[in-house]
Parts: sequence; structure tokens; C-alpha cells
Amino acid sequence: MVATATTSAFFAVPSPDSIAKTTRPGNGVASVGPMKSKSASGGLQVKANAQAPPKINGSSVGLTTFPDSVKIEDGTPSHPPRTFINQLPDWSMLLAAITTIFLAAEKQWMMLDWKPRRPDMLMDPFGLGRIVQDGLVFRQNFSIRSYEIGADRTASIETLMNHLQETALNHVKTAGLLVDGFGSTPEMSKRNLIWVVTKMEILVDRYPSWGDVVQVDTWVCGSGKNGMRRDWHVLDLKTGETLTRASSVWVMMNKHTRRLSKIPEEVRGEIEPYFMNSPPVVAEDNRKLPKLDECTADFVRSGLTPRWNDLDVNQHVNNVKYIGWILESAPLPILESHELSAITLEYRRECGRDSVLQSLTALSGNCVDDLENSAEVECRHLLRLESGAEIVRARTEWRPKPANNPETAGEVSAESA
Amino acid sequence: MLKLSWNAADHAQALSQCRFLEGPRPGLLASGRRAAAATVSCCSSPASKAPALAVVSDGLARVEPGSGSLADRLRLGSLTEDGLSYKERFIVRCYEVGMNKTATVETIANLLQEVGCNHAQGVGFSTDGFATTTTMRKMNLIWVTARMHIEIYKYPAWSDVVEIETWCQGEGRIGTRRDWILKDYATDRVIGRATSKWVMMNQETRRLQKVSDDVRDEYLIFCPRESRLAFPEENNGSLKKIAKLEDPAQYSRLGLVPRRADLDMNQHVNNVTYIGWVLESMPQEIIDSYELQTITLDYRRECQHDDVVDSLSSHEPDETLEAISQLNGTNGSAVSPATEDYRQFLHLLRLSGDGLEINRGRTQWRKKPMRR
Repeated sequence: MVATATTSAFFAVPSPDSIAKTTRPGNGVASVGPMKSKSASGGLQVKANAQAPPKINGSSVGLTTFPDSVKIEDGTPSHPPRTFINQLPDWSMLLAAITTIFLAAEKQWMMLDWKPRRPDMLMDPFGLGRIVQDGLVFRQNFSIRSYEIGADRTASIETLMNHLQETALNHVKTAGLLVDGFGSTPEMSKRNLIWVVTKMEILVDRYPSWGDVVQVDTWVCGSGKNGMRRDWHVLDLKTGETLTRASSVWVMMNKHTRRLSKIPEEVRGEIEPYFMNSPPVVAEDNRKLPKLDECTADFVRSGLTPRWNDLDVNQHVNNVKYIGWILESAPLPILESHELSAITLEYRRECGRDSVLQSLTALSGNCVDDLENSAEVECRHLLRLESGAEIVRARTEWRPKPANNPETAGEVSAESA
Repeated sequence: MLKLSWNAADHAQALSQCRFLEGPRPGLLASGRRAAAATVSCCSSPASKAPALAVVSDGLARVEPGSGSLADRLRLGSLTEDGLSYKERFIVRCYEVGMNKTATVETIANLLQEVGCNHAQGVGFSTDGFATTTTMRKMNLIWVTARMHIEIYKYPAWSDVVEIETWCQGEGRIGTRRDWILKDYATDRVIGRATSKWVMMNQETRRLQKVSDDVRDEYLIFCPRESRLAFPEENNGSLKKIAKLEDPAQYSRLGLVPRRADLDMNQHVNNVTYIGWVLESMPQEIIDSYELQTITLDYRRECQHDDVVDSLSSHEPDETLEAISQLNGTNGSAVSPATEDYRQFLHLLRLSGDGLEINRGRTQWRKKPMRR
């Protein structure tokens, strides 16, 4: 369960209007003095959709123009000239000339390939994220920190999941729906309802490394009659390539009775405006995750206990930690030679500080002995209390690590690790 | 994560962080010697504000501050005007927040480490958490943490922005100190301070080693010359000796095992994990009512992935703390331990099997403020 603190954000989340007004290309870096929007003088004025920053390079930048001035390449509708200018014909000629110069310069300037390529990220210097795309998608950038990379020098799957969790919460917060740290909306909170994740599927195309900056987009849709689906798309900010796609299914539960609940009408009213009608970003994996036990498992690791640091605000184990435990029983040859390409998780039950867990892994089909040389490996996993109650079922798929991993270069060196 | 040893792969990583904006990563640098000899120059972006630093030695890879990867240019940190310290801002993420709805001490330790790494990278040294110079690598010397002392006065919460400033200075023949000051970016108030002591160790022999002055000067060029201390006050806790915990301990948590996520690139348990282990033996009643104000750890021995560790704690009476508690209490009445405003504990981490000490520590706790 995602349950974290809510506090007044240090930066007040910028209202959609303020985003629209203050955003000019290059706002953060090269401030262009004469380009600042002026209101009544026929200067350039930026208009944008609510909650969507004006896009550069052509689209959705509205400008007041004079009828006979330079046409903007995006074909925004021209507005009738301001009346006071019409009354001063000499001024209008002068102002038209000035405007022409300004617009031409701006056009020139907008075409400059200046770095960074994404000025919108300068609006978000602290990585708070913002709503894009007609108010339905939330976007946040993360720079991979040194302690987030794993033994193989790339961001760990836990790091990726942490980023997904952070953007989910920030989305709800930025949409103004966050009441408490559980991601509950006001109507949910009144009824003691919380969201609980039941299923998570993650596909990783490439793991980012230290210093990479990733952009995470997230949005929500309905799922069946009483569920919600949250999808994520992660890309490398520099290259634009997709790094990760993920999809999760959530249901509503009463936090006191721990019983599942239908979505009340009032809550529907709150959240449905934010639903995007899009197919899942990860094709739904409907394969049944079979049950495992000591007999059918190939590897078992027992005695796993939560540490203080694993617990969320409610003293339940944060669900990202489960992945770490699941991988605890994955065979070492796989971990060293392969990387996780996909993981599907089915959450069954939560656990707390006093739980003692067991992690079981079974290989699907592959022979244990020749794992390093296998192309693709699939495993089934079960995380359960030692008393038997299931916490998470999972399926993982693995592929050989990419050949140009710097780790393999390091191994060639004379220095010992 | 703090890596206790350096190898060629770290250096390859360091160089790969400095890359032309358009170009791909430089190719694999297979051998340590080749990597050390390469002088990499990168174009600096116009937005760069940090001063350019001169090349100090021919073998040292130089990175023009402000250039390099996208993250570097977006990095919320940079060297200060005089180039002698480094400041960076971090936003606290939801998963870094613990049971108290505030950042955990492990998060703080991770951020201190991150800013230390970025400082080292910013001045062009290798990326093992502290600078190793070419000469050090030739002599097989690496930095290891000897002591870590962190004081937090106010824990940041989710979405708070913390600004951390760090610098390093020499200490004695073999030691170096790295200091940090943490501030709440919104209020500019100091929310924490930290200091750490590092010594040079021979990677092969695993023994501490003294070095000649010119080796030391090689890395000290980026450190302030006049003494600048995060803890300038006399008798501060960062210098206090830590006694060894006597058996039997009041509280313990046995059988702690490193998880995969605890291991750094060299398969050693990273330093922040020890902090978690030290706190593991704290009982629920302390965790519920108190928050950690100070933690001091003396690192004695490293831990490998297959070690099993016991964490032991005992209440350590401290005269000054008890005096403060009694001043706060009503006159004449005995202050019972359960209601004290401050508590202090002594800790020991040791291997389960043979009892060898891994590290020892001291923590000070203050009663939690009443939060909403």
C-alpha cells in the first residue's frame, strides 16, 4: 500500500494559470528580456490550456497579432486588433513594425536548437512534477542518484518502482485530491476508504544508470466496475527512448474493516474526470500465477524480517520492499548474468514488523545448471509468512545483461574488486 | 552507496559521466592504467556558473565543472564560488519518508553520500564517495570511512527541499574529514550537521597507511586551507570516544543478514546499511516516542554479503542529558526514564559467529514533537 506523509508542500503547487502566464521559452535559463509578455501594448502574449504548459516549437502558443503581421507557423487564430491602436494610425504602423521584428525574432529563436532540449523541465527544477496533456497526465523527472543503483551499476528495480510510487502520489496531490498520505480523496477519506494495489506489471526495456535523468508519465483509467488502473511510461530524457512501462490495478478497501468496497458515487465524481480512456500501456497478463510450496519450489529463503526502515507510516511493509525479498531467493547465477525484463506481481496480503517471511522461487522450464547461458529465463515466485499466509505471488522474466555493461569492462581490469 | 574500494570500473564510470552533450558514452575503458592516463575534456555549457579549475597533475582526468551529462547540467548542485565546497539541493521523495512521516536517518545518510559523490565528481576525481588521485591508485590506496557522526535537529518531510553543503579537509597524516551542513531550503535554517573521518588504506594489505605530503596535497587542493568545521564547538559529540558495549545488552536483534540491495558495487555492505542495523535493536517503545537526534558510528570491520550480524544496544547514562531532563522536570521529583526528554544508547554490531566487532555506535534520542 502506498501510504506516506502529507505535508504542505514546500513549493505551493503552481496553479494552472500561473503556469500559463509565467512560462516563456527559456524562462529558467536564458531570460530573454524583450520577449517578456506585455499586456496592452500588442506584445506577445502566451496563452495555454489550463494545466498544460505552452508547448514550444509551434503548437498551442496563442499570440495576439495584427491582421497584417507575420503569420505564426502554428496557425493560431488571429485576434482582432486592439481598438486603441486602430485609433492611432501612425502608432499602429510603428507597432506593427516592431511586432513584426519581435515575431520574426521569436520565430528564429524558437527554432534555435538550444540546450536543454526540453525547456519544460526547467519549470520543474526541483522535480515536483506537473500535469500535462489536457490535465490527465502527470509528469515528473528523476535524476538517478548514486545510492539508487544496484550491484550491477544500473538503477535497481526497486528504484524504478519507487519512482512510480512517487509520481502516483504526486499526481493525486497535484490534482488537488490528496487528503492524506494514502492517496485517498476527500470523499474516500470521509468513508475510511483507501486504495489498495492488487496487481502490478512492469516491463523494463533498459535500466538507467547513475546520472541519467528519466521522465515518468502517469495517468489513471477505470478498471472494470470497481477498480482503477494506473499506468506509467518512463523514458530517458536525453535520448527519448522508452525505458519502462508499467500498469497497476487498484481496488478500494475500508481501512478499518479491511474489506473491499465498491466505488461510491461521490468518489466516482471526484476521480472520473481524471480518467483517460486509453488501453493499458502493458498488455494485461492474464496468465494464472500458480501456487508454490516447498515441494514445487527450486529455491527457498526463510527468516526474512522487516526492518524499521521497511515500514511505511502505517507500520505496514511498503510494497516496493516485496520485490527485494522476492529476489532474495532468485538463483544467484541468474542475478549475475541476467537482468529482470518483466515482473508481474499479485498482492494478496500485507505484513508488518513482526512478520517472518519466506521467499520461494521456481524456475519455469529451464534447467538449473545452465542458467547463465540461457537466453530467456522465467521464474515464478511466492512470498509468504512462514505460517503459510500468502503475501505476494509473482512471475519474473529475465534476459541476458546487455553486452556493453561497464561492469564487464571493469572485470577485465587488473584491479581486484 | 559508499564504496569502500575503488577499481577501474569506478573510474570508467567517472569518465563516462563526463561526456559530450551530443555524443554517445565513451567506449569501454578496460584497463585502469589506460583510464587514468586519458585526459577527458568536455565542452562546457554556457549556463555553467562554477569556476573552471586548473589541471593539477597530468594524469588526472579533468572535468570542466558544469559540463557533462544531462543530469550534471540539471543538477541542483554546484561548486561554490571559491571552488572549495559543494552545495546541492534535494527534494525528499515519498518513499524516503518513514514511520514518523519525515525522512529517515538512512535517507539523510544517503543524501550525504550522494552529495559527497557529486562533489568528488564535480572536481573531477573518481566516484567512490571520495576523491582518489592517480597517485593513490598507483599506490593501491583507497579511502575508508572510520567514523560517521550525524546530528539532525529537524527532519524534513515529503516534498521538502534540503540544501546540503559539503567540503573536505585533511586531518593528520592519514586522515581526511568530510563535513556537511544541511539546511531547509525554504527557511534557510540549519536542520542538521554531519562530519565523517576517512583514512587511507592499502587495498591489498587492508592496512592503514600513511602517505607523503605531496600525495596528500594532490587532493587537498580542493579543500579549504583554514580549518572549517561543521562542529566547531568544543567537546562536541563528534569527537567523543565510544566505549565497547558490555554483555549482556539490554536490547538486541540477532541474525541480521545483508540483502542484495545492501551491497555496493564491490559486494561489500554499504555504510548506510549499518545505520539501519544499529537501529534494529531499538525497542518499539523508543521508536514510537522518540526520534533520533544524533548517531555516531565507528567503523571497525567490513561486512560481506554472507555474514550474519548481531545488533546490540544498551542505555548509556549521560550526565549532561540527564541534567537537561531534570531541569525540564518539576523540582524535586524524580524523572523516570519513561518520561525523559532525551535518551542515549550505546550500540555494538558484531558478527554472529565469532563475535568480531564490525562497528560501535552511540545514539541520542529526543522526545518526538507533537505532530498533527
